[in-house]
Amino acid sequence: MALWFSLATLVAIANWIATLISGAPSPMLHRFLSAYVRYVTHVVAYLSLAANPYPGFAGRPGYPIDVEIDPPARQNRWVTGFRLLLAIPAVLLADALVGFGTSAAAGSNVTSGGVLGTVAFLGWFASLARGRMPQGMRDLAAYAIGYSAQVNGYLLLLTDRYPNSDPAIYDSANVFRDDPIRVPVDDDLRRSRLTVFFRLLLATPHFVWFLLWTIAALFAGIANWFATLISGQSPSALHRFLSAYLRYQVHLYAFLQLVANPFPGFVGKPGSYPVDVEIEVEPPGRQNRWVTAFRAPLSIPAFLIASALTTSAYVAAMLGWFYALVRGRVPKGLRNLGAMELRYYAQTAGYFYLLTDRYPYSGPSSGWQLRLNPAPPPGAPQSAYPA
Amino acid sequence: MPAVALAAAFVAALTWPTDVPSQLGTPELDPHAFFSGSQIARAGDYAAFTSVNQVLSALVLVAVLVVYARRGTRFMRESAAGRIGTGMLLAMLGLALVWLAELPFGLAQLWWGRRYGVADLGYLEWVVSSWFALSGVFIGVCLTVLIVMAIAAVARQQWWLLAVPAFAAIGLLVAFVSPYLVPNVEPLRDKRIAADARRLERQQGLPRIDVEVQRAKQHTTEINAASAGFGPTRRVILWDTLLEALDRRQVRFVLAHELGHQSRDHILKTIGWSILLAVPSAFLVAVATRRRGGIYRPEAIPLALLVFVVLTIASTPVQNSLSRRFEAEADWVALETTRDPAAARGALVKLGDASLEDPDPPSWAQLFFGTHPSVMDRLEMVEAWRRESGWRRRTRPLAAGGPMD
Repeated sequence: MALWFSLATLVAIANWIATLISGAPSPMLHRFLSAYVRYVTHVVAYLSLAANPYPGFAGRPGYPIDVEIDPPARQNRWVTGFRLLLAIPAVLLADALVGFGTSAAAGSNVTSGGVLGTVAFLGWFASLARGRMPQGMRDLAAYAIGYSAQVNGYLLLLTDRYPNSDPAIYDSANVFRDDPIRVPVDDDLRRSRLTVFFRLLLATPHFVWFLLWTIAALFAGIANWFATLISGQSPSALHRFLSAYLRYQVHLYAFLQLVANPFPGFVGKPGSYPVDVEIEVEPPGRQNRWVTAFRAPLSIPAFLIASALTTSAYVAAMLGWFYALVRGRVPKGLRNLGAMELRYYAQTAGYFYLLTDRYPYSGPSSGWQLRLNPAPPPGAPQSAYPA
Repeated sequence: MPAVALAAAFVAALTWPTDVPSQLGTPELDPHAFFSGSQIARAGDYAAFTSVNQVLSALVLVAVLVVYARRGTRFMRESAAGRIGTGMLLAMLGLALVWLAELPFGLAQLWWGRRYGVADLGYLEWVVSSWFALSGVFIGVCLTVLIVMAIAAVARQQWWLLAVPAFAAIGLLVAFVSPYLVPNVEPLRDKRIAADARRLERQQGLPRIDVEVQRAKQHTTEINAASAGFGPTRRVILWDTLLEALDRRQVRFVLAHELGHQSRDHILKTIGWSILLAVPSAFLVAVATRRRGGIYRPEAIPLALLVFVVLTIASTPVQNSLSRRFEAEADWVALETTRDPAAARGALVKLGDASLEDPDPPSWAQLFFGTHPSVMDRLEMVEAWRRESGWRRRTRPLAAGGPMD
């Protein structure tokens, strides 16, 4: 890897000069750098347990998690000249997704592993125990690796197409799932510049309200735990209250993270916000008492992933903030990354609040895109990546 | 309505009189006897720019709110928060636009203050702190909108009658807890000044009141003090710059002045007057917003904001006049308590000089910006007290508590 990196750095400089002069990468250098990007992808996939076979050293196509790279094409010289600068936002986001950099660079004592690092850490235990990687974790790792590969390809001038963080472009996202907690998105990407500029401050009354509601939800959550443990199902009143609280949380986070545009309401009313939470457990169903008893420790892995995803989503929100101030809209990729994070958070919190006993699904498939795509035909495969 | 007017007249009659003798013959003093020519010129230059900046800032404020009142309702589409939530959003956006429009004037004032050595704050630091301070303003305005719109849901066009008592209660609560919200304060460590404070409290018939020191010298060279809270939360706050610039006798005068605010219940009286002014203001807001369906509807909020701000500006001379009366009374009480006109003169001259206050500003500037009597007015009162006191000393014995040194 170190040898590959040293060579790739030299070749990348040569490729940059060649592309600046001729307007297109040299085919030979393009081949070499493509092999490098593939090799890095294979190694990272192997290390993070996203793929099983030991990778080769030459970066040849055919690994279970692979990169498809277009042949060399003409590139805009201005975009080529300023490629390093232009890549900074994408590098920041890739860093948050893959990990090992951002928090340390910011002077934090705790180095976050990013989404990929967290998934790899949890996946290691899961793989040791069950002999297989959970599909959701594998698909999430593939998404993070895929975005990182796009950034590498952009930096190394393999393409001048800007990296796209939209999880929906991955096959693993386009699977049909029947999760009881879903986050449908009905948003047109338009953003008001004024509300974007003051977004954090505009949320101030919500912070106060959220704090008050959280105190009440804390007691409701404890009562719900005892009640569910005793009776085997959540009391309807507590279920409704905690559902509304979860919905309100997601509305507020969507507003803060620029995943949606309007100022949210204060009561978590269903269907009142473009990024909503659908909870298909009404009336509340029976839940396994053992799973209920140990719900808090069982939630820890999901909260770890949710935390890593939240970091990435806030990096996306920060980038989207600048973009929206200039363009009056947010990029679909950043919006969808935020929506994916909110969906996973909603499922995790819903599991923790005992709204459902279905464990959160960490893969990019979310339910939020189900409204964008038609329902799959009967008998369609559950995932493009067979587990 | 007659009952409201009668109650207002009663409160006004109760709170308007002060201890300052109405027939006090204040002498005409020459500023040059207290300040050098260059000090006067410098203070005049500083005040001239500040006044113009404030006037322009107020004009821009009104202009922005006029435009917002006409076009602000378009932001309703940016809300999914229902009636009251949308009202909150519109109010916050109006204030956010005002903040943006006023930013250049704030920066200009900071630049001017830095140029004259009155302010030390960096530009970015000022912008960031001002931006974050907006969050407090937003909470206040959202609470106001919540109360008004919730009351309007029940009382419709008569909301203002119920809203005023609600705001009076909030005003009292805020005044009560305000001493705990002052940042960067620490207990007074100087035992001699603390002992002086105890004596002054006894002389003014007050219970024990905490005296605290606020760290201000990293931001400004101005010297200042304040009185906050009422009842058990009463506090006197001295800036650390004041303790460094004034000698003990002068600090004692300032302490006596601040305690004077407490012994004469100026904070409660100010709240009483605010309530008096709030009644017609709320009524006028109610009348003005009827065309847009009343304050019950969120589209009325931008207009309500404009009317409220215009009424506040219009009532500024009344509020300033009241404030000057209370400040004059606090000075008078301080003179009566300390019986040390030399210390009072010294403190007032240093206060005026450090704050670059125009010793003798034009009447219009006092009308709109003068929350305190001018330095010369205050010095003239000191001189009047000295003469009055000399006369009284010849005719009757001194009251309890003579000069403390």
